[in-house]
Amino acid sequence: MSISSLILSALICHMAIPCVTTASVKLITLPPRERVEIQLDNPNVTLVEEERLVPLIAGVNEVVFGWNSANIDKNSVQFRCLSDPAGIKVLSVSYPPGENALTWQVSSAKTTSARVRISYIISRLNKSFAYRVVASHDEKSLTLRQYILLHNNANEEFGSAGMWAGFGERFERPIGINETKSLLSAKFTEVHIRKTYSANFAKYGCLDPLKNQLRIPMHYVLKNDTVNGLGRFPLQPGKVRIFQDDGHGTLAFLGEDMGNFTPRDDEMKLYLGQSKDIVVTRTYDDMKKDTVHGNLYDLEVIFKYEIENFKDEEVVLDLTESIAAFRRDMLRDIDRDVEWEFGENGMLKELWDCDESNAEKVVFNITLPARGADQKAVKQVHKLHLIIRNEW
Amino acid sequence: MRRSDKRVHNIGRQAPGYENPQNRCVNGGFGDMKKLLAASALFLSFAVHATAKNVDLSTVPPRDTVQLTIYNSEDLTLVRETRTISMKKGINPLQFSWANTLIDPSSVDLRFKTHTDELDLLDTTFPHDNPQMLYWNVRSEYDGDAILEITYFTSGISWSADYVCISDAKEEGMSFDGYVRITNNSGEDYADAQIRMVVGTINLVEKITTLARNGFIARGDLDAYRKAGIAGMSRRGRDAARNELHEVAAAFKMKAPKQIVKEGLSEYFIYTVPGTETVKNSWSKRMRLFQGSDVPFQIKYRYRPAEYGEQLVRMFILRNNQKSSLGETPLPNGVVRLFRDNGRDGLSFVIQQTTKYVPIGQEIELNLGADPEVIHERIRLSTKHDNFWYKRSGVNAHYSPQKGHQIEFNDKVAGWDDHQFWIERIRNYRDKPIDLEIRRTFPGHVVFRSQLNPTLYDYRTPRFTTQIDAGEKRDMPYELVIHQGYNKKQNKVTLDNKS
Repeated sequence: MSISSLILSALICHMAIPCVTTASVKLITLPPRERVEIQLDNPNVTLVEEERLVPLIAGVNEVVFGWNSANIDKNSVQFRCLSDPAGIKVLSVSYPPGENALTWQVSSAKTTSARVRISYIISRLNKSFAYRVVASHDEKSLTLRQYILLHNNANEEFGSAGMWAGFGERFERPIGINETKSLLSAKFTEVHIRKTYSANFAKYGCLDPLKNQLRIPMHYVLKNDTVNGLGRFPLQPGKVRIFQDDGHGTLAFLGEDMGNFTPRDDEMKLYLGQSKDIVVTRTYDDMKKDTVHGNLYDLEVIFKYEIENFKDEEVVLDLTESIAAFRRDMLRDIDRDVEWEFGENGMLKELWDCDESNAEKVVFNITLPARGADQKAVKQVHKLHLIIRNEW
Repeated sequence: MRRSDKRVHNIGRQAPGYENPQNRCVNGGFGDMKKLLAASALFLSFAVHATAKNVDLSTVPPRDTVQLTIYNSEDLTLVRETRTISMKKGINPLQFSWANTLIDPSSVDLRFKTHTDELDLLDTTFPHDNPQMLYWNVRSEYDGDAILEITYFTSGISWSADYVCISDAKEEGMSFDGYVRITNNSGEDYADAQIRMVVGTINLVEKITTLARNGFIARGDLDAYRKAGIAGMSRRGRDAARNELHEVAAAFKMKAPKQIVKEGLSEYFIYTVPGTETVKNSWSKRMRLFQGSDVPFQIKYRYRPAEYGEQLVRMFILRNNQKSSLGETPLPNGVVRLFRDNGRDGLSFVIQQTTKYVPIGQEIELNLGADPEVIHERIRLSTKHDNFWYKRSGVNAHYSPQKGHQIEFNDKVAGWDDHQFWIERIRNYRDKPIDLEIRRTFPGHVVFRSQLNPTLYDYRTPRFTTQIDAGEKRDMPYELVIHQGYNKKQNKVTLDNKS
């Protein structure tokens, strides 16, 4: 408490001796903190609770709570007596002008040392989250560590404070002024992951537009459920550093990404970079208009995808076609929902991922075999036949 | 303690309008040492204010009682104070001044509490040279004491309510404590004041603070006035000491928090703080208004974009009634701070929000915001268009192939129906069932087709409710049929529960 700017003082002035309150000679006790808990479970606000043993005398006591430069919300400060809530009551609170302080008028039935809990909201004592994942060499699983980063810019130090983020374990650590502390809050081992390769013209564009070659970003996908080794609580947003076991007892750094807030049963996608070994070209194989009545017509389009896997292992490609984006590009930007259905001339329909698809996009999961022993990749050609109905 | 600049002078100088040599010296009898001291102490002060004469004598009767009635809907406080004055038979000039405060001069009123038949207020004069002052000429038909009541409006004193709620760990009940906080920035200390606070809205033609400042010394002069300190310091010291004594004595007697008295009056509610309180200038004081324990509440999940934005929010709903151990008083608007027992011998801060005035019997809604344990998604599954109508160029008629009309090549689509197929998906990861309400507003001519048993909140807002079990994931499908263009005949939503 040597640097602490927070002071709780109990004026030893029984109200029966009025001269004491006006005298310039005062006796003030400075009860130290007995316990501090920093509640970090609210996403925006940090609540500090501290307990002190406050000497009170029978009658009315003045208990002054002041802070020099700590960022405390004066209106949030609460006083609760734990040891004798029936006999010790707060009569009123006074707020002096221009001071970071308040005074409780506390009535005590007897002379005692009261255990008091003082709660207040403090700003600039913030938390954030960070993750470190280490993927196995075969990229089938990983170990995920979640860290709470506690940033103390509140101009107040806390000697040995309990901290709780609303889930996981409670910590007890000191934290000084302007310190940042990283605390391991959770560790998950054997987390099953899916390494995905995605082709989505509307979202990721082309790697080589002249050749219609699409970008193929790679991700680790972690599903936040118990089946996959997670699912204990929603994952908070934070930076994720990604490493991989290189098979030689050391780790290779693969990169980092920002993990989004991930509720239970949702997926966290971690971007790993662009794949150069999966080559996908996208062209329009055919397109035609069929008049229905008057100016009403159907638009038929056949997308053709030529796909090669130059890796030595089988992978699954997630191919997405945004029908809304296609219609915006090919027709005109109209504020009308798109109506579509599959045509008969494409085989991709059988690989349709209906859970991931919706009214505006279709998703397919295409298994790509590893290249052969002759190091030659098998070129797959897939066609997607869509009929966009009732345009005008 | 801050110096009080407001005082009534019983003056030995002639007030404007009267020439009565008998009143050259009043209340300064040599037998009354206290008043003499007071008169002496204020002599120089008065010499500063009174420019008509260079040498004058006055006494300063202290306040006997003071009552503050504070309105929270306007920056307005009614001050009612009594003072005892010795009257001489004949004309008694009185000076009332309020330098350095925010009093509305047009509101100052004088009444006699005693000898009402023997005392008459003859006139009131506002001198041109000092706008924070007035003179009264009082005609007395007797020699002796009189109790005066002076009332006036001042700005700068306010009160506000705030509430602290602590939910139990199971979220089944909560404590609900109300507080009032009085803040005095009026420029005047009010010692040992009876305090009343009024809940309700009043109508004012002009702001009191404007009235207080108009025609008075300029702001810069006012500040300079404050910095320099005006005469009367010795009296201030005495007042401060006296006030401290009263405060300490009152505090010593008080062993339990004051129970603020609440009573209704017409359209208003009045809170009265028992006994007296001292509220110094620039200070605030907070006291408990009421205490509610084990207040039951319901937890509801609501999707109402117009009220809560585009998110499903968690609500604590309680009611301001006696069944909830509340209902003793309407709840004035104020800040609510909600905490929850975190089950680890500590509290979690949940939310802070401003609540509006809550009458007795009405619900109190606390919006906890989005809940990471309850996930809401809205997914559009598919869309289709049908029921086309065409307009033919040069012909004021519409044609539909469904009606067997022949559609020509140059006919243009003029009307159609959109069919949108949606699901509202809820995942409840809490260990309790949740009550859910979804309201969505659809502009245009819309048919809301579902088996969700919806009702209409208003003519274009379907509303449906359900309960989602703990751990349940549920999809709630519905179809929107939106009549567009020529097909749009109305601007309302119709419910269709047949599909």
